[in-house]
Amino acid sequence: MAKIIVDGTEIDVPAEFTLLQACEAAGAEVPRFCFHERLSIAGNCRMCLVEVKGGPPKPTASCAMSVRDLRPGPNGEPPVVLTTSPMVKKAREGVMEFLLINHPLDCPICDQGGECDLQDQAMAYGVDTSRFAENKRAVEDKYIGPLVKTQMNRCIQCTRCVRFTTEVAGIAELGAIGRGEDMEITTYLEKAMSSEMQGNVIDLCPVGALTSKPYAFKARPWELSKTESVDVMDALGSAIRVDARGREVMRILPRLNEAVNEEWISDKTRFIWDGLRSQRLDRPYIREKGKLRPASWGEAFAAIAARVKAAKPEGIGAIAGDLASVEEMFALKLLMEGLGSKNIDGRQDGTVLHPKFGRASYLFNATVQGIEDADVILLVGSNPRKEASVLNARIRKRWRAGGLTVARIGEPADLTYAVTDLGAGPETLAELASGKHSFAATIAKAKRPLVIVGQGALTRADGLAVFALAAKVASSAAEPAEGWNGLSVLHTAAARVGALDLGLVPGEGGLDAKAMAAGGVEVLFLMGADEIEVGPGPFVVYQGTHGDKGAHRADVILPGAAYTEKSGLYVNTEGRVQLGNRAGFPPGEAREDWAILRALSDVLGRKLPFDSLSDLRKGLFAAHPHMAGIDAIAAGSAVDAAALAKAGGAIDKAPFRDAIGDLYLTNPIARASAVMADCSAIASGRVPAAAE
Amino acid sequence: MLQDRDRIFTNLYGRHTPGLTGALKRGAWDGTKFLLEKGRDWIIEEMKKSGLRGRGGAGFPTGLKWSFMPKQSDGRPHYLVVNADESEPGTCKDREIMRNDPHLLIEGCLIASFAMGAHACYIYVRGEYIAEREALQRAVDEAYEAKLVGKDNVHGWPFDIYVHHGAGAYICGEETALIESLEGKKGQPRLKPPFPANMGLYGCPTTVNNVESIAVAGTILRRGGGWFAGLGRPNNTGTKLFCVSGHVNNPCNVEEELGLTFRELIDRHCGGIRGGWDNLLAVIPGGSSVPMVPADQIADAHMDFDTLRGLGSGLGTAAVIVMDKSTDIIRAIARISYFYKHESCGQCTPCREGTGWMWRVMNRMAEGRAQKREIDMLLEVTKQVEGHTICALGDAAAWPIQGLIRHFRPEIEKRIDQYSANPHSEPVRVAAE
Amino acid sequence: MKDTLLRIFTWWNGATIGTLWHTRRNGEFVGEDEFGNRYYRTKGGKVDPALGVVRRWVIYNGEAEASKIPPGWYGWMHHKFDEPPQSEGYVPREWEKPHRPNPTGTAGAYRPKGSILNADTRREATGDYQAWTPGS
Repeated sequence: MAKIIVDGTEIDVPAEFTLLQACEAAGAEVPRFCFHERLSIAGNCRMCLVEVKGGPPKPTASCAMSVRDLRPGPNGEPPVVLTTSPMVKKAREGVMEFLLINHPLDCPICDQGGECDLQDQAMAYGVDTSRFAENKRAVEDKYIGPLVKTQMNRCIQCTRCVRFTTEVAGIAELGAIGRGEDMEITTYLEKAMSSEMQGNVIDLCPVGALTSKPYAFKARPWELSKTESVDVMDALGSAIRVDARGREVMRILPRLNEAVNEEWISDKTRFIWDGLRSQRLDRPYIREKGKLRPASWGEAFAAIAARVKAAKPEGIGAIAGDLASVEEMFALKLLMEGLGSKNIDGRQDGTVLHPKFGRASYLFNATVQGIEDADVILLVGSNPRKEASVLNARIRKRWRAGGLTVARIGEPADLTYAVTDLGAGPETLAELASGKHSFAATIAKAKRPLVIVGQGALTRADGLAVFALAAKVASSAAEPAEGWNGLSVLHTAAARVGALDLGLVPGEGGLDAKAMAAGGVEVLFLMGADEIEVGPGPFVVYQGTHGDKGAHRADVILPGAAYTEKSGLYVNTEGRVQLGNRAGFPPGEAREDWAILRALSDVLGRKLPFDSLSDLRKGLFAAHPHMAGIDAIAAGSAVDAAALAKAGGAIDKAPFRDAIGDLYLTNPIARASAVMADCSAIASGRVPAAAE
Repeated sequence: MLQDRDRIFTNLYGRHTPGLTGALKRGAWDGTKFLLEKGRDWIIEEMKKSGLRGRGGAGFPTGLKWSFMPKQSDGRPHYLVVNADESEPGTCKDREIMRNDPHLLIEGCLIASFAMGAHACYIYVRGEYIAEREALQRAVDEAYEAKLVGKDNVHGWPFDIYVHHGAGAYICGEETALIESLEGKKGQPRLKPPFPANMGLYGCPTTVNNVESIAVAGTILRRGGGWFAGLGRPNNTGTKLFCVSGHVNNPCNVEEELGLTFRELIDRHCGGIRGGWDNLLAVIPGGSSVPMVPADQIADAHMDFDTLRGLGSGLGTAAVIVMDKSTDIIRAIARISYFYKHESCGQCTPCREGTGWMWRVMNRMAEGRAQKREIDMLLEVTKQVEGHTICALGDAAAWPIQGLIRHFRPEIEKRIDQYSANPHSEPVRVAAE
Repeated sequence: MKDTLLRIFTWWNGATIGTLWHTRRNGEFVGEDEFGNRYYRTKGGKVDPALGVVRRWVIYNGEAEASKIPPGWYGWMHHKFDEPPQSEGYVPREWEKPHRPNPTGTAGAYRPKGSILNADTRREATGDYQAWTPGS
């Protein structure tokens, strides 16, 4: 700790703090453009100049100078920093004037207007007139992809975007060319950026140079109602803020959550919103004579009731999809129990994970924050860049800090950090588990080895055997750190951990998702399950939000609410329970999913015991107490390794396949989004990624 | 007057062969092994005693700079980087050293590297210096061949020397930008601290020295720091290469004692001012980046660091640019402004935006197409740039204009009056809209 | 009776009694346009001392509305032509459309799409999402 006097207040700060942080700690506001907590220090905007007493007679860039580098006074007094002296005021006004001389005065038509750092700081630290009589600089706009719109006249060359893409996103595709006042930010050949986290540069840009292309000219920040919620595009559950106007979601922004997403979100999370307004199911439909016709809720329920009553209990089944919240899955489970059916499954991708092996057997036990402590990471059948882009950035952050070895068993892919490929399939894993592989020594030496098991390894017939081997590898460190559990499952669906927590798995003698879809039941209830092909036999009731695979196959369609249109709990891959909030109402006659199930249960004569969401939650918390601990991770029961090993069986030789084919088209909302379709086309090379 | 026996660069004009045989005859590589055997501390002590101040412009004592390098390596290698990116307008001393006396430089590199525990030395040659780079490379090859340098050289200090060719950016003459460029990155200055002596090339302790500072080291050690300190004036000791250009009868590069007067320098070596001393208008005494000094102040001033600083200017690289009364002084400074606008790296705001602004206003003032109040505004803009930037290029861009306004304000006002007195199709702009 | 009262007390429902009286006494009929508006001038083309020119006026067919005057007669009324359009040989240009009075304030006025004054019923506001239709 070092003592420092900021504007007359003496405070104690860690010696490695920068002056800027020290000033903030002392309560003094220091304006800045280029400085960002999560990026390297550039020190080039010169807005954060402060006066250091006793130093050279010129102001110092506070973001780059650390407290340690300050010299104490002649008698050992703590160094003195001034943030409000005339010299500092003059310096800020000077820098602000320089920033504004070539910045266009187009705030009225700028999408950043109202949330622009330059606007705010010009008001706070600038002068009210301009003395610049020359022509302003004009810079051509660049094409950098379908997501980020550029208005390069507005760029103040803070290079936050360049540092983000090279440091966090791990692509060296954005950079500055030219020098002096001709310096321009570009992707060099005007190609689309290939990162799946590029949208974050929009938030980082302190001015309106990089703005959201799909959101361009759509809304103003002050007319949007902001709802804090949770993302469901992947199993990470990034914290988001949904900005809506009326019931229309206009944009999605990240929220700070150090434990999960820091302050980044993936492009899929950010730009999914246009999928929320197309292909929507807004009224019930009934299939008659092979054709779906719009119907009333009553007609739809009656049609379902007729079939359900005709069917035997074991002829009824239900599959919960990837985006379902805990509440509706709980309601679904109660309904199926009421109907006497054991055919229920929340694992439409066919993963072998099962709550009977203990809660820890399906969680990312190391936690996302724990990645930063890991010293060896082994990826088994997982491509985190696709499955959870933000988590991948966390691994990259750890890798950049140094001292991390990453190895992979599975499909080779560029993960933005160095990865050693050990092999392609379970055989390598078996070698590793038996200690024959050379890499086994590295894991044995590690203090905190992290084994990330992806769905690519678990959705196979031999998934359990693979998982048992992975568990063995994870526990093969000779001296693991106290309390470290490195066996971590990376899920691909936001609903999966919730479903496993609730026990949405077939009961004794019940059918699993695959068997149900193949025609094992007479009436099949799909709750947002679109990633599974249903065979010709069953009478399909589809409850969901988008006209996708499930709706096309359905015999009765019940329109539900998307994740921004309902309040619901989601459990992320770490087992963290998070609450999503409603930003708007579902379209047309669509209703919240728990309410549909409640109404349907009445018609079926198996009335569910709740009349409101809070009643439902009361019941849920009573049955599953850990669900009440929002934003917390309940300690799971340990993995029943013996049971796992017994259930394991033989391994297959086939190499692991990535769980996700097309990152941008993994769920019904994404498939309805035009922006995601563009991204997918560029990523797959179907359209050229360069401008014109 | 510097005695011929006290000259260090005895082949400055290339009258003799620059090759190794010639260099040996002139005294290079004489007893280098003996010097190294005296040890690091002796060398640094002797350099400190000589009072040698860095010849690259800032005038930081070289011996002191060498002593900043960690005494014991913490596992990281040490590097010596020689700044041969001589791009300052008016300066042309290092190229003569590289062309005609390269062995003095190479020997200096060895001694300096030894003194700071470096086994590798990089010489960063300016992009436009193609013949110089070739000459230097030839000399390095000769030295390698004669086992004067290399892994197992006769001096017993494993030492490699690399000649790196830059791409011609002025900013790469700034030490940290040079290091960035040498690492293969975009040449943009780094933030200090950390200083290169702690975190330099590839994150290792590094010293960056000017060619001349390094090249004189061998001779200083051979003849003793006391000899060097005996030349010149107190605190401004030794000899220095002056590059006199502009309106003198005989522009030249010359090695002279520091602290001789401007009149002596011009009369003795350059054949006087064109049109006589009364025709002298102003002098830029240290390369384009220092403020000019008007005739009456410079004529009998001592050409050394401290005197010129007292005159509100600086010795810089001792590139003396002489301007007589035929000079359009405003246009001259406008041209210098353009140079800095063109060479600004664009990293930090005041320099990136300020240099362009200053150049544009200067351009108008050169025509007279300006308002008188804009003179004060321009002065304030230069003050806003000066001292607010990462490196010294902002200061260098600001100083010439400050010098102009300080000494020739009536000239600018006269120009403006002239312009507005004459009818123009394009009237003087009153205010920016 | 009502007509008479309107005549007396309003000026917009045709010419007032005073105007009619004045026209009877001093007016000289000049011509009539396609809408039935009748144009007059001072008898014998006497220059009005107050105006400096011949006084010209119109008695509207029906409501008094200045934009009912077609372009040719507009020119005559404003002393652009000395003679009325017929005798000037006034021919409309081929691109001129038949004259229409200004419909502002009448039922024929332009209403933007979505105006609640439009006759047809307004579409339900469902533009914020695009619904799925089966078979698409």
